[in-house]
Amino acid sequence: MLKMITIAAKAVFVTVIMVVATSAQSTTGTVNMSGTVSKFVEINSGGAVTLSGNSGGGVTTDGTANNPLAVVVNLGELGPSNTSSFVSASVPLKLRSNAAYVLSLLATVSSSGTTANRIVASDVGFGLGSVTRTGVGVNSTGSDTDGTSGDPTLAANGAVNATTGRFEFTAPGSNLGAFSSSTTALNGAFVLNAVPRSNTNGLTVPAIFAVKPQFYEVGSTTVTATFTVTAP
Amino acid sequence: MRSKFGILILNCLAFVGGVGTVPAQALDISSGGTPTITGALNGSVTGSSSVLNDLVVAINFGEISPANTSSLVKVVVPIAVRSNRAYRVTASVSGATNANLQAVQRTDIGFGVNNFRVMGSRARNCARSNHIIYNPFNNNPANSVTINANGRATYPSTINNIVSPTMILSGPRLSQGNAQRRTDNGYIFDVIFTIMPQFYADGITSAVITFTISDGPNAPC
Repeated sequence: MLKMITIAAKAVFVTVIMVVATSAQSTTGTVNMSGTVSKFVEINSGGAVTLSGNSGGGVTTDGTANNPLAVVVNLGELGPSNTSSFVSASVPLKLRSNAAYVLSLLATVSSSGTTANRIVASDVGFGLGSVTRTGVGVNSTGSDTDGTSGDPTLAANGAVNATTGRFEFTAPGSNLGAFSSSTTALNGAFVLNAVPRSNTNGLTVPAIFAVKPQFYEVGSTTVTATFTVTAP
Repeated sequence: MRSKFGILILNCLAFVGGVGTVPAQALDISSGGTPTITGALNGSVTGSSSVLNDLVVAINFGEISPANTSSLVKVVVPIAVRSNRAYRVTASVSGATNANLQAVQRTDIGFGVNNFRVMGSRARNCARSNHIIYNPFNNNPANSVTINANGRATYPSTINNIVSPTMILSGPRLSQGNAQRRTDNGYIFDVIFTIMPQFYADGITSAVITFTISDGPNAPC
Protein backbone atom coordinates (compact mmCIF):
# COMPACT_ATOMS: atom_id res chain seq x y z
CA MET A 1 0.00 0.00 0.00
CA LEU A 2 2.72 2.34 1.04
CA LYS A 3 4.69 1.45 -2.10
CA MET A 4 1.70 2.25 -4.34
CA ILE A 5 1.14 5.54 -2.65
CA THR A 6 4.83 6.39 -3.00
CA ILE A 7 4.70 5.62 -6.72
CA ALA A 8 1.58 7.72 -7.12
CA ALA A 9 3.20 10.58 -5.29
CA LYS A 10 6.26 10.37 -7.52
CA ALA A 11 4.01 10.35 -10.58
CA VAL A 12 2.31 13.52 -9.39
CA PHE A 13 5.70 15.10 -8.84
CA VAL A 14 6.91 14.15 -12.34
CA THR A 15 3.65 15.33 -13.89
CA VAL A 16 3.98 18.66 -12.18
CA ILE A 17 7.55 18.98 -13.43
CA MET A 18 6.40 18.24 -16.99
CA VAL A 19 3.59 20.75 -16.83
CA VAL A 20 5.99 23.38 -15.68
CA ALA A 21 8.43 22.45 -18.45
CA THR A 22 5.86 22.74 -21.24
CA SER A 23 4.27 25.96 -20.07
CA ALA A 24 6.86 28.33 -21.52
CA GLN A 25 4.90 31.32 -22.71
CA SER A 26 5.59 34.82 -23.83
CA THR A 27 3.60 37.94 -24.45
CA THR A 28 6.09 39.48 -26.86
CA GLY A 29 7.89 38.46 -30.02
CA THR A 30 10.33 40.23 -32.29
CA VAL A 31 11.08 40.52 -35.97
CA ASN A 32 14.48 41.94 -36.83
CA MET A 33 14.89 43.18 -40.36
CA SER A 34 17.67 44.64 -42.47
CA GLY A 35 18.37 45.46 -46.08
CA THR A 36 21.31 46.66 -48.13
CA VAL A 37 21.43 49.26 -50.84
CA SER A 38 24.60 49.13 -52.89
CA LYS A 39 25.77 51.84 -55.24
CA PHE A 40 24.18 51.33 -58.60
CA VAL A 41 24.95 52.90 -61.97
CA GLU A 42 24.03 52.07 -65.50
CA ILE A 43 24.41 53.49 -69.00
CA ASN A 44 22.02 52.88 -71.85
CA SER A 45 21.11 54.37 -75.14
CA GLY A 46 19.24 57.62 -74.88
CA GLY A 47 17.62 57.21 -78.29
CA ALA A 48 18.30 57.41 -81.99
CA VAL A 49 21.58 58.65 -83.46
CA THR A 50 21.64 61.82 -85.53
CA LEU A 51 24.11 61.85 -88.43
CA SER A 52 24.68 65.05 -90.38
CA GLY A 53 27.02 66.37 -93.06
CA ASN A 54 27.73 62.92 -94.32
CA SER A 55 28.31 61.90 -97.90
CA GLY A 56 27.40 58.27 -98.09
CA GLY A 57 27.56 56.24 -94.95
CA GLY A 58 24.73 56.11 -92.46
CA VAL A 59 23.68 54.73 -89.13
CA THR A 60 24.33 51.02 -89.32
CA THR A 61 23.03 50.11 -85.86
CA ASP A 62 20.88 52.74 -84.28
CA GLY A 63 20.32 53.41 -80.63
CA THR A 64 17.06 52.51 -78.93
CA ALA A 65 16.20 54.40 -75.79
CA ASN A 66 16.73 52.41 -72.58
CA ASN A 67 18.44 49.57 -74.40
CA PRO A 68 22.12 48.76 -74.08
CA LEU A 69 24.31 51.21 -75.93
CA ALA A 70 25.72 49.48 -79.02
CA VAL A 71 25.70 51.98 -81.85
CA VAL A 72 27.48 51.58 -85.18
CA VAL A 73 27.87 54.59 -87.48
CA ASN A 74 29.49 54.86 -90.90
CA LEU A 75 30.58 58.46 -91.34
CA GLY A 76 30.91 57.99 -95.08
CA GLU A 77 33.31 59.96 -97.23
CA LEU A 78 35.74 62.13 -95.23
CA GLY A 79 37.86 63.32 -98.14
CA PRO A 80 37.46 66.74 -99.77
CA SER A 81 34.78 65.36 -102.09
CA ASN A 82 32.51 65.79 -99.10
CA THR A 83 31.92 69.53 -99.10
CA SER A 84 30.29 69.68 -95.68
CA SER A 85 32.08 71.58 -92.97
CA PHE A 86 31.82 68.59 -90.66
CA VAL A 87 30.48 65.08 -90.59
CA SER A 88 28.89 64.84 -87.21
CA ALA A 89 27.24 62.01 -85.27
CA SER A 90 25.28 62.72 -82.12
CA VAL A 91 24.78 59.65 -79.93
CA PRO A 92 22.32 60.11 -77.01
CA LEU A 93 23.42 58.52 -73.74
CA LYS A 94 21.25 57.84 -70.72
CA LEU A 95 22.79 57.53 -67.27
CA ARG A 96 21.04 56.35 -64.12
CA SER A 97 22.46 56.06 -60.64
CA ASN A 98 21.68 56.19 -56.94
CA ALA A 99 25.10 57.67 -56.18
CA ALA A 100 27.54 60.18 -57.57
CA TYR A 101 28.77 58.93 -60.92
CA VAL A 102 31.74 59.21 -63.25
CA LEU A 103 31.38 58.73 -66.99
CA SER A 104 34.64 57.78 -68.66
CA LEU A 105 35.56 57.36 -72.28
CA LEU A 106 38.22 55.19 -73.84
CA ALA A 107 38.68 55.67 -77.56
CA THR A 108 40.81 53.90 -80.12
CA VAL A 109 41.35 55.11 -83.68
CA SER A 110 42.99 52.91 -86.28
CA SER A 111 43.55 53.74 -89.91
CA SER A 112 44.75 51.83 -92.93
CA GLY A 113 46.87 54.80 -93.79
CA THR A 114 50.56 54.85 -93.00
CA THR A 115 51.57 58.48 -93.19
CA ALA A 116 51.06 61.50 -91.00
CA ASN A 117 48.23 62.48 -93.30
CA ARG A 118 46.06 59.55 -92.25
CA ILE A 119 43.16 60.17 -89.90
CA VAL A 120 44.36 59.97 -86.31
CA ALA A 121 42.63 60.34 -82.95
CA SER A 122 43.13 64.08 -82.82
CA ASP A 123 41.24 64.43 -86.11
CA VAL A 124 38.09 63.05 -84.52
CA GLY A 125 36.37 65.75 -82.61
CA PHE A 126 34.46 64.81 -79.50
CA GLY A 127 32.37 66.55 -76.90
CA LEU A 128 29.25 66.25 -74.83
CA GLY A 129 26.16 68.31 -75.50
CA SER A 130 23.71 69.67 -72.98
CA VAL A 131 23.05 67.52 -69.94
CA THR A 132 19.36 67.04 -69.20
CA ARG A 133 17.93 65.98 -65.86
CA THR A 134 14.17 65.99 -66.22
CA GLY A 135 11.25 63.72 -65.49
CA VAL A 136 9.53 62.21 -62.47
CA GLY A 137 12.01 60.78 -60.02
CA VAL A 138 15.07 62.52 -61.45
CA ASN A 139 17.33 64.47 -59.13
CA SER A 140 16.78 67.63 -61.13
CA THR A 141 18.91 69.78 -58.83
CA GLY A 142 21.99 67.62 -59.13
CA SER A 143 24.96 69.24 -60.81
CA ASP A 144 27.30 67.80 -63.43
CA THR A 145 30.79 68.65 -64.56
CA ASP A 146 31.59 68.31 -68.24
CA GLY A 147 35.19 67.36 -68.91
CA THR A 148 34.85 68.18 -72.59
CA SER A 149 34.45 71.46 -74.40
CA GLY A 150 30.98 70.66 -75.72
CA ASP A 151 30.03 70.27 -79.34
CA PRO A 152 33.35 69.93 -81.20
CA THR A 153 31.94 71.71 -84.23
CA LEU A 154 31.62 74.94 -82.30
CA ALA A 155 33.91 77.59 -83.71
CA ALA A 156 35.67 77.98 -80.41
CA ASN A 157 36.72 74.34 -80.33
CA GLY A 158 38.87 74.15 -83.42
CA ALA A 159 40.65 75.96 -86.20
CA VAL A 160 43.00 75.55 -89.10
CA ASN A 161 46.58 75.29 -87.97
CA ALA A 162 48.28 78.29 -89.49
CA THR A 163 51.51 76.41 -89.97
CA THR A 164 50.34 73.07 -91.28
CA GLY A 165 46.99 74.08 -92.71
CA ARG A 166 45.35 71.09 -91.11
CA PHE A 167 42.12 71.62 -89.23
CA GLU A 168 42.58 70.73 -85.56
CA PHE A 169 40.26 70.38 -82.62
CA THR A 170 42.21 72.49 -80.17
CA ALA A 171 39.99 73.00 -77.12
CA PRO A 172 40.60 70.84 -74.03
CA GLY A 173 38.96 67.45 -74.33
CA SER A 174 37.66 68.25 -77.80
CA ASN A 175 39.14 65.31 -79.70
CA LEU A 176 39.65 61.61 -79.12
CA GLY A 177 43.36 62.08 -78.60
CA ALA A 178 42.45 63.15 -75.09
CA PHE A 179 40.75 59.82 -74.46
CA SER A 180 43.37 57.35 -75.62
CA SER A 181 43.28 56.04 -72.06
CA SER A 182 40.13 55.93 -69.97
CA THR A 183 39.42 59.53 -69.05
CA THR A 184 36.57 61.23 -67.28
CA ALA A 185 34.20 62.95 -69.65
CA LEU A 186 31.43 63.77 -67.21
CA ASN A 187 30.75 63.40 -63.51
CA GLY A 188 28.05 64.51 -61.19
CA ALA A 189 25.59 63.95 -58.40
CA PHE A 190 23.26 60.99 -58.11
CA VAL A 191 20.77 60.88 -60.94
CA LEU A 192 17.64 59.29 -59.56
CA ASN A 193 15.71 59.68 -56.35
CA ALA A 194 14.25 56.61 -54.68
CA VAL A 195 12.17 55.27 -57.56
CA PRO A 196 11.88 51.79 -59.00
CA ARG A 197 13.93 50.58 -61.90
CA SER A 198 10.74 50.52 -63.96
CA ASN A 199 10.94 54.31 -63.98
CA THR A 200 12.76 54.91 -67.25
CA ASN A 201 13.84 58.47 -66.61
CA GLY A 202 17.45 59.46 -66.16
CA LEU A 203 20.17 61.87 -67.17
CA THR A 204 20.53 62.23 -70.94
CA VAL A 205 23.45 63.72 -72.76
CA PRO A 206 24.48 63.56 -76.41
CA ALA A 207 27.98 62.34 -77.20
CA ILE A 208 29.01 64.21 -80.34
CA PHE A 209 31.67 62.95 -82.70
CA ALA A 210 32.84 65.04 -85.66
CA VAL A 211 35.35 64.88 -88.44
CA LYS A 212 36.19 67.73 -90.77
CA PRO A 213 36.60 66.47 -94.34
CA GLN A 214 40.17 67.14 -95.47
CA PHE A 215 42.86 65.85 -97.83
CA TYR A 216 43.51 62.86 -95.59
CA GLU A 217 45.52 59.94 -96.85
CA VAL A 218 43.35 57.51 -98.75
CA GLY A 219 42.13 54.64 -96.64
CA SER A 220 39.60 53.56 -94.09
CA THR A 221 39.50 54.43 -90.44
CA THR A 222 37.81 52.72 -87.53
CA VAL A 223 36.93 54.52 -84.33
CA THR A 224 35.80 52.65 -81.22
CA ALA A 225 34.50 54.65 -78.29
CA THR A 226 33.75 52.82 -75.07
CA PHE A 227 31.81 54.64 -72.38
CA THR A 228 31.93 53.39 -68.82
CA VAL A 229 30.00 54.72 -65.86
CA THR A 230 31.10 54.05 -62.31
CA ALA A 231 30.20 55.12 -58.81
CA PRO A 232 33.47 55.66 -56.97
CA MET B 1 7.89 4.41 7.99
CA ARG B 2 4.69 6.35 8.50
CA SER B 3 6.78 9.37 9.19
CA LYS B 4 8.66 9.09 5.87
CA PHE B 5 5.40 8.52 4.01
CA GLY B 6 3.87 11.56 5.60
CA ILE B 7 6.84 13.74 4.70
CA LEU B 8 6.71 12.57 1.07
CA ILE B 9 3.02 13.34 0.77
CA LEU B 10 3.46 16.71 2.41
CA ASN B 11 6.33 17.56 0.09
CA CYS B 12 4.26 16.69 -2.96
CA LEU B 13 1.28 18.65 -1.71
CA ALA B 14 3.47 21.58 -0.90
CA PHE B 15 5.05 21.48 -4.34
CA VAL B 16 1.70 21.17 -6.10
CA GLY B 17 0.33 23.91 -3.89
CA GLY B 18 3.29 26.07 -4.71
CA VAL B 19 2.86 25.60 -8.42
CA GLY B 20 -0.83 26.25 -8.04
CA THR B 21 -0.18 29.67 -6.66
CA VAL B 22 1.70 30.69 -9.83
CA PRO B 23 -0.99 32.20 -12.04
CA ALA B 24 -1.36 30.39 -15.37
CA GLN B 25 -0.39 32.81 -18.13
CA ALA B 26 -3.49 33.98 -19.89
CA LEU B 27 -1.90 35.28 -23.06
CA ASP B 28 0.75 33.92 -25.38
CA ILE B 29 2.37 34.84 -28.68
CA SER B 30 4.75 32.55 -30.53
CA SER B 31 6.01 31.54 -33.90
CA GLY B 32 3.19 30.57 -36.21
CA GLY B 33 5.35 28.50 -38.51
CA THR B 34 8.13 28.91 -41.02
CA PRO B 35 8.50 32.43 -42.42
CA THR B 36 9.08 32.76 -46.16
CA ILE B 37 10.79 35.25 -48.46
CA THR B 38 10.39 35.82 -52.20
CA GLY B 39 11.97 38.20 -54.69
CA ALA B 40 15.16 38.65 -52.72
CA LEU B 41 18.69 38.94 -54.04
CA ASN B 42 21.07 37.58 -51.41
CA GLY B 43 18.32 37.83 -48.81
CA SER B 44 17.02 35.40 -46.22
CA VAL B 45 14.59 34.92 -43.38
CA THR B 46 15.02 32.75 -40.33
CA GLY B 47 12.52 31.72 -37.70
CA SER B 48 11.21 28.63 -36.01
CA SER B 49 8.90 26.29 -37.88
CA SER B 50 7.34 25.19 -34.58
CA VAL B 51 4.41 27.00 -33.02
CA LEU B 52 5.80 25.92 -29.65
CA ASN B 53 8.77 28.24 -30.00
CA ASP B 54 9.06 31.94 -29.32
CA LEU B 55 8.55 34.45 -32.09
CA VAL B 56 12.11 35.38 -33.02
CA VAL B 57 12.44 36.17 -36.70
CA ALA B 58 15.35 37.68 -38.61
CA ILE B 59 14.68 39.12 -42.04
CA ASN B 60 17.44 40.09 -44.44
CA PHE B 61 15.82 41.74 -47.43
CA GLY B 62 19.17 41.45 -49.20
CA GLU B 63 20.03 43.81 -52.02
CA ILE B 64 17.27 46.36 -52.55
CA SER B 65 18.96 48.63 -55.06
CA PRO B 66 17.97 48.29 -58.74
CA ALA B 67 20.59 45.54 -58.92
CA ASN B 68 17.73 43.39 -57.66
CA THR B 69 15.50 43.16 -60.70
CA SER B 70 12.56 41.68 -58.80
CA SER B 71 9.54 43.93 -58.63
CA LEU B 72 9.14 43.32 -54.91
CA VAL B 73 10.77 41.56 -51.98
CA LYS B 74 8.06 39.94 -49.87
CA VAL B 75 8.31 38.27 -46.48
CA VAL B 76 5.46 36.40 -44.77
CA VAL B 77 5.79 35.83 -41.02
CA PRO B 78 3.15 33.57 -39.42
CA ILE B 79 2.39 34.44 -35.80
CA ALA B 80 0.45 32.25 -33.33
CA VAL B 81 -1.61 33.70 -30.49
CA ARG B 82 -3.39 32.10 -27.54
CA SER B 83 -5.50 33.54 -24.72
CA ASN B 84 -8.10 32.65 -22.16
CA ARG B 85 -9.63 36.10 -22.36
CA ALA B 86 -10.20 38.94 -24.78
CA TYR B 87 -6.90 40.06 -26.23
CA ARG B 88 -5.18 42.65 -28.33
CA VAL B 89 -1.99 42.46 -30.39
CA THR B 90 0.09 45.58 -30.79
CA ALA B 91 3.12 46.20 -32.95
CA SER B 92 5.84 48.81 -32.68
CA VAL B 93 9.00 49.60 -34.60
CA SER B 94 12.38 50.92 -33.68
CA GLY B 95 15.12 51.80 -36.16
CA ALA B 96 14.86 52.28 -39.91
CA THR B 97 15.41 56.00 -39.67
CA ASN B 98 17.56 57.80 -42.22
CA ALA B 99 18.21 61.51 -42.42
CA ASN B 100 18.71 61.22 -46.18
CA LEU B 101 15.22 61.19 -47.65
CA GLN B 102 16.48 59.21 -50.62
CA ALA B 103 17.62 56.39 -48.35
CA VAL B 104 15.22 53.68 -47.19
CA GLN B 105 12.56 55.12 -44.91
CA ARG B 106 9.97 53.43 -42.73
CA THR B 107 7.41 54.39 -45.33
CA ASP B 108 9.23 52.20 -47.85
CA ILE B 109 8.49 48.99 -45.96
CA GLY B 110 4.97 47.75 -46.52
CA PHE B 111 3.30 46.11 -43.52
CA GLY B 112 0.02 44.24 -43.56
CA VAL B 113 -1.89 41.61 -41.57
CA ASN B 114 -3.69 38.80 -43.32
CA ASN B 115 -5.06 35.31 -43.18
CA PHE B 116 -6.29 35.01 -39.59
CA ARG B 117 -7.00 31.31 -39.12
CA VAL B 118 -7.69 28.57 -36.61
CA MET B 119 -4.77 26.65 -35.13
CA GLY B 120 -6.13 23.27 -34.09
CA SER B 121 -9.13 21.75 -32.43
CA ARG B 122 -8.71 23.53 -29.13
CA ALA B 123 -9.02 26.98 -30.63
CA ARG B 124 -11.93 28.78 -29.03
CA ASN B 125 -14.74 29.69 -31.40
CA CYS B 126 -16.62 32.63 -29.97
CA ALA B 127 -19.93 33.49 -31.54
CA ARG B 128 -20.51 36.83 -29.82
CA SER B 129 -17.49 38.78 -31.03
CA ASN B 130 -15.28 38.90 -34.06
CA HIS B 131 -11.54 39.02 -34.39
CA ILE B 132 -10.67 42.36 -35.93
CA ILE B 133 -7.65 43.30 -38.04
CA TYR B 134 -7.49 47.05 -37.75
CA ASN B 135 -7.21 49.59 -40.49
CA PRO B 136 -4.96 50.36 -42.23
CA PHE B 137 -3.23 47.04 -41.65
CA ASN B 138 -5.87 44.73 -43.14
CA ASN B 139 -4.22 44.52 -46.54
CA ASN B 140 -1.62 42.56 -48.40
CA PRO B 141 1.04 45.14 -49.26
CA ALA B 142 2.30 42.96 -52.08
CA ASN B 143 -1.04 43.48 -53.82
CA SER B 144 -1.58 47.10 -52.91
CA VAL B 145 1.69 48.81 -53.77
CA THR B 146 1.34 51.90 -55.94
CA ILE B 147 3.66 54.59 -57.30
CA ASN B 148 3.12 58.07 -55.94
CA ALA B 149 3.50 61.39 -57.76
CA ASN B 150 7.21 61.46 -56.99
CA GLY B 151 7.67 58.08 -58.59
CA ARG B 152 8.28 56.27 -55.29
CA ALA B 153 6.55 53.08 -54.22
CA THR B 154 3.93 53.49 -51.50
CA TYR B 155 1.57 51.25 -49.53
CA PRO B 156 -1.70 51.61 -47.61
CA SER B 157 0.19 50.69 -44.44
CA THR B 158 3.86 50.62 -43.60
CA ILE B 159 5.99 50.21 -40.52
CA ASN B 160 5.78 53.98 -40.25
CA ASN B 161 2.25 53.35 -38.96
CA ILE B 162 3.64 51.59 -35.87
CA VAL B 163 6.17 54.09 -34.58
CA SER B 164 4.46 53.70 -31.19
CA PRO B 165 2.69 50.53 -29.99
CA THR B 166 -0.33 50.28 -32.23
CA MET B 167 -3.18 47.81 -32.06
CA ILE B 168 -3.26 45.68 -35.19
CA LEU B 169 -5.57 42.90 -34.01
CA SER B 170 -8.04 42.18 -31.21
CA GLY B 171 -10.84 39.84 -30.40
CA PRO B 172 -12.43 37.44 -27.97
CA ARG B 173 -10.83 34.51 -26.20
CA LEU B 174 -8.58 32.47 -28.46
CA SER B 175 -8.08 29.19 -26.59
CA GLN B 176 -10.09 26.50 -24.91
CA GLY B 177 -8.81 26.04 -21.39
CA ASN B 178 -5.84 28.20 -20.55
CA ALA B 179 -3.31 29.72 -22.93
CA GLN B 180 -0.68 27.06 -22.34
CA ARG B 181 1.49 26.80 -25.40
CA ARG B 182 0.26 23.88 -27.46
CA THR B 183 0.02 23.15 -31.16
CA ASP B 184 -3.76 23.20 -31.29
CA ASN B 185 -5.18 25.87 -29.03
CA GLY B 186 -5.14 29.23 -30.70
CA TYR B 187 -5.06 31.15 -33.93
CA ILE B 188 -2.42 32.08 -36.48
CA PHE B 189 -2.18 35.19 -38.63
CA ASP B 190 0.32 36.30 -41.24
CA VAL B 191 2.27 39.52 -41.08
CA ILE B 192 3.49 40.56 -44.52
CA PHE B 193 6.46 42.84 -45.08
CA THR B 194 7.37 44.17 -48.52
CA ILE B 195 9.97 46.44 -50.01
CA MET B 196 10.39 47.41 -53.63
CA PRO B 197 13.95 47.63 -54.97
CA GLN B 198 14.51 51.26 -55.91
CA PHE B 199 17.21 53.85 -56.48
CA TYR B 200 17.61 54.37 -52.75
CA ALA B 201 20.72 56.09 -51.49
CA ASP B 202 23.27 53.45 -50.67
CA GLY B 203 23.59 52.11 -47.14
CA ILE B 204 22.29 49.52 -44.73
CA THR B 205 18.96 49.90 -42.97
CA SER B 206 17.74 47.88 -40.02
CA ALA B 207 14.68 47.84 -37.78
CA VAL B 208 13.09 45.81 -35.03
CA ILE B 209 9.36 45.13 -34.87
CA THR B 210 7.99 44.06 -31.50
CA PHE B 211 4.66 42.27 -31.28
CA THR B 212 2.89 42.19 -27.93
CA ILE B 213 -0.27 40.41 -26.84
CA SER B 214 -2.14 41.84 -23.87
CA ASP B 215 -5.59 42.12 -22.40
CA GLY B 216 -7.90 43.39 -25.06
CA PRO B 217 -10.92 45.57 -25.38
CA ASN B 218 -14.17 44.01 -24.24
CA ALA B 219 -15.09 41.16 -26.59
CA PRO B 220 -17.57 38.69 -25.08
CA CYS B 221 -17.19 35.12 -26.18
